[in-house]
Amino acid sequence: MTTPARVPRWFTKAAWYLALIGLSIPFVFPFLWMVSSSFKNSTEMFAFPPTLIPETLRWRNFVQVFEYQPFAQQYFNSVYIAALVTIATILVSSMAGYAFARIRFRFSTLIFFLMLTALMMPIEVTIIPNFFFMRLLGLVNTHVPLIVLPVFGSSGVVATFLMRQYFLSLPTELEEAAMIDGMGRFGIFFKIALPLARPALGSVGILTFLYSWNSFLEPLVFVNDLNLFTLPLALNTFTDSYGLPLWHLQLAATTLSVIPILVVYVLAQRQVVESFAMSGMKG
Amino acid sequence: MKLARFVLPAVLLVALTSLATAQQLRFTVWSGNEAHLSMLNGFADGFAETHPGVSVQFDVIPFGDYVQKVTLQLAGGNPPDLGWLAEASAPTFIDAGVLADVGDALRNDSDYDFADFSEPALGLWERGDAVYGVPFSTSPFIVYFNRDLFEQAGLTPPDVLAEQGAWTWETLKESAAAIADASDAFGFESVDGEGYGARVWHTLVPIVRGYGGEAWSDGACRLDSPEAVEAVQLYHDMVYEDASAVPPGEQGDFFTGRSGITITQLSRVSKLAEADFDWGLAPMPSGPAEDVAVIGQAAVVVFEAGQQTELATEFLAYMTNKENVAVMAEFFPPARRSVLDSEAFLSSNPMVTPQQMEIVASGIAGGRVLPNHPNFPQIDAAARPVFDELWNADADVAAVMTRVCDAIDAQLQ
Amino acid sequence: MDQVPGTPATPRPQKPPPRKGARSLRALDEIYGYLFVAPQLTGFLLFVIGPLVAVVIYSFQERNLLTGAVTNVGLQNYNDAFFTNPTFWKVLGNTFVFTAGLVPVNIALALALALLLNRRFPGVTLFRTLFFAPVVTSAVAWAIVWRFMLQGEQGTVNQVLALVGVDGPNWLRSPGWAMTAVIGTRVLKNVGLNMIIYLAALQAIPREYGEAAAIDGAGRWQIFRRITLPLLAPTTLVVAVITVVGSLKVFDHILLMTGGGPANATMVLVYYIYQQAFEFFEIGYAATLSVILFVITLVLTAIQWLVNARRS
Repeated sequence: MTTPARVPRWFTKAAWYLALIGLSIPFVFPFLWMVSSSFKNSTEMFAFPPTLIPETLRWRNFVQVFEYQPFAQQYFNSVYIAALVTIATILVSSMAGYAFARIRFRFSTLIFFLMLTALMMPIEVTIIPNFFFMRLLGLVNTHVPLIVLPVFGSSGVVATFLMRQYFLSLPTELEEAAMIDGMGRFGIFFKIALPLARPALGSVGILTFLYSWNSFLEPLVFVNDLNLFTLPLALNTFTDSYGLPLWHLQLAATTLSVIPILVVYVLAQRQVVESFAMSGMKG
Repeated sequence: MKLARFVLPAVLLVALTSLATAQQLRFTVWSGNEAHLSMLNGFADGFAETHPGVSVQFDVIPFGDYVQKVTLQLAGGNPPDLGWLAEASAPTFIDAGVLADVGDALRNDSDYDFADFSEPALGLWERGDAVYGVPFSTSPFIVYFNRDLFEQAGLTPPDVLAEQGAWTWETLKESAAAIADASDAFGFESVDGEGYGARVWHTLVPIVRGYGGEAWSDGACRLDSPEAVEAVQLYHDMVYEDASAVPPGEQGDFFTGRSGITITQLSRVSKLAEADFDWGLAPMPSGPAEDVAVIGQAAVVVFEAGQQTELATEFLAYMTNKENVAVMAEFFPPARRSVLDSEAFLSSNPMVTPQQMEIVASGIAGGRVLPNHPNFPQIDAAARPVFDELWNADADVAAVMTRVCDAIDAQLQ
Repeated sequence: MDQVPGTPATPRPQKPPPRKGARSLRALDEIYGYLFVAPQLTGFLLFVIGPLVAVVIYSFQERNLLTGAVTNVGLQNYNDAFFTNPTFWKVLGNTFVFTAGLVPVNIALALALALLLNRRFPGVTLFRTLFFAPVVTSAVAWAIVWRFMLQGEQGTVNQVLALVGVDGPNWLRSPGWAMTAVIGTRVLKNVGLNMIIYLAALQAIPREYGEAAAIDGAGRWQIFRRITLPLLAPTTLVVAVITVVGSLKVFDHILLMTGGGPANATMVLVYYIYQQAFEFFEIGYAATLSVILFVITLVLTAIQWLVNARRS
């Protein structure tokens, strides 16, 4: 493999970085606009031509966000619900995914495929019978449906699917060795398979947290109390009495709500980035 | 343990009496604004003075999903007692029989003065003698104009023209064209900038009415009439001949100074708080056939499925009595004539002069709502794709309007 | 199992080789299998099967959510969709175009980004976050920015194109280009998610495989085609399935960008279902359309599954 000797290394590096930056512009520009707009007033936000750097930093927007409605409470609601959903999903889906991938039991493929159907009906329609059901159980205007439905619904099934595929792609030597040593299934799962699956757990964590954090229809349907609102609902409520969005508040609130996701992302990235620990896996 | 024998009955007694006197009304609204909610809670407190033990809980539902959620609650056996309802849903809800008739209760209430309400404003909510809702917000569409741009183009501003009786759709078209030529701004922005989408009816129907047409009447579509075609042609020319109206796919926000004229409701005036141009208000232009005033409305309704319709009706009456309508007038243009004529109302908005407020008041008193129909969602869904055919330079307006009528005839029955 | 460096392992569920006590392990496995899936299965039966059955029942009824009126109409809804209502076929066509346009582009881009960023260089975490940024940008903010950039005259995209002499179309108001614009903006918004999945999967591929192959003289593209891609097959299956299924359910993005227009050019099936259910309150018809959507999704998933099974 020869590199053209005349092109200096720093040049290729710089070109490389430039290309990456260029590629990332359409991805990141709207995000930057969103953040910078949260410091503007409505007029400046839609000024023409649009400005990326606000003329003045209106920190007041962020204060007003908390004055307008019980935003801090709503924020907390979103955080704890998403955390619960993520933890429960990781547990439930990793167990199920492992079973589908590694354990031979009757009808396993059939059951797995059946569960995939949870993905296939649009939630706009299945939420109606679910609402009637939750009403029957007296769980309307509580957070219970918001926690339970994602874990067993499409988000949880996606997680199981992901875990299954990941477990399938792991070499089996370690598990077999453990079986020879007499370890039972639970032991193999918790002590060997699960630690190996950290990258998949990381991506399941991000996806599930995101799904719960961003879900709008479920809270809309199940929650009546302003104090029980989650963030997407709260964001939609930053309107004047004619339904017109109060952009400076909405975008400021949106910018605030982005922070936990980025935190989860960075934390989960460490799991995803982790180089394959058991490098002695080749045969 | 003799005491124990008394405890249980005592507890039961207390529980029963508190059940008897503690009642809660659930009221759905779409505003989560602190100021609005504290005003509403103030009404609840006032009501509790004459109705001890009654509390009102205000549930906030985001505006965009309001109808959906209320419908789901009504269907799911979790009905609210009262709620706000926007004009677009009125015919559908009334036809479906889910609103309670409060007419008799209101008319028989001597202090209420039902006749104080402007008749046109009630039009949408009445069926014969039955009254299904009381409007709490009646907001006319008015003209906003950019005084600086008018000056730059050497034009007489619309409020002066209106006083002279010379503010017509033709004049609007000419002014818009002049502004577009004299500056790099647009001449006219359609209602909320959505004239080719969600606000196509708001944009076209006022012109149609000004020319003597109507969208539909008596179950028949009238958008293909010569008057309607002439009206739509006027707007089409503004877009494609004069290049004065903001065309489809472009943005020309009046409130940031990008257009000379727009038509929308009073509430948008708050967007001008930090405007860097001089602006004014004017009434809607008149057409060859009639002076047009168009209103948008929202009312308080009582839901038939609620368990406490009588109590709910009493609260509705309380909320919309003279005193409280005057309180609400701070945020919501009232439909009571006595409040409309009051000094308090005319000076209620710090950004609007009493003179300008007169425009709003006369719009409310004489304005009509946009065309409505129980099947309006279906009509809208069928008509809009056909309206989309209008928006190119060589569209045959008459032919398209005929096609619109074809598309919606079935739904109008 | 006996791996020569350079030959990829085929990812297949491996049978534990027969050993002492294998039979009792196998029997135990039956129990363990069900034990492990029990939590998810129970929830699934309660919260998924129930509504599914309800929706199928509704599909044979005329059911108005607002008035509460319910009539059994048998197959009339299905008949109406397939034979009477022309909009249905247009919507179905749009749905296929949207999915067929979105899925390959999304998967290819996600894989490309994952490969690009699956190495250690200063700033890699920053770039990973940059490409992830659209996922955390609110759908509303995303739509505002892109609707601005896609204006026919004043939009950034067309102004940039004008610099190179191209007269850009009126993206969101042209029935021909609106779909492209909607697909493109949706891909950009969501590709970061698939990128994460691929990044995780790439982590499971030991570096040694590629290194050994390189020593043997394999070029980068060959390594990719012969080693990486096959090893990624299980991941590609899940990415493909969830992207296809996800694309069939995209609603809010289209609502915000074009409202289904112009002239229904971007109206897809799930949007149409939403309209029926929540604007017209016709739950029965919405249920019928949902069943149709369900069957389409099922068939597409089954096809992908079988293709994948055949390949391995």
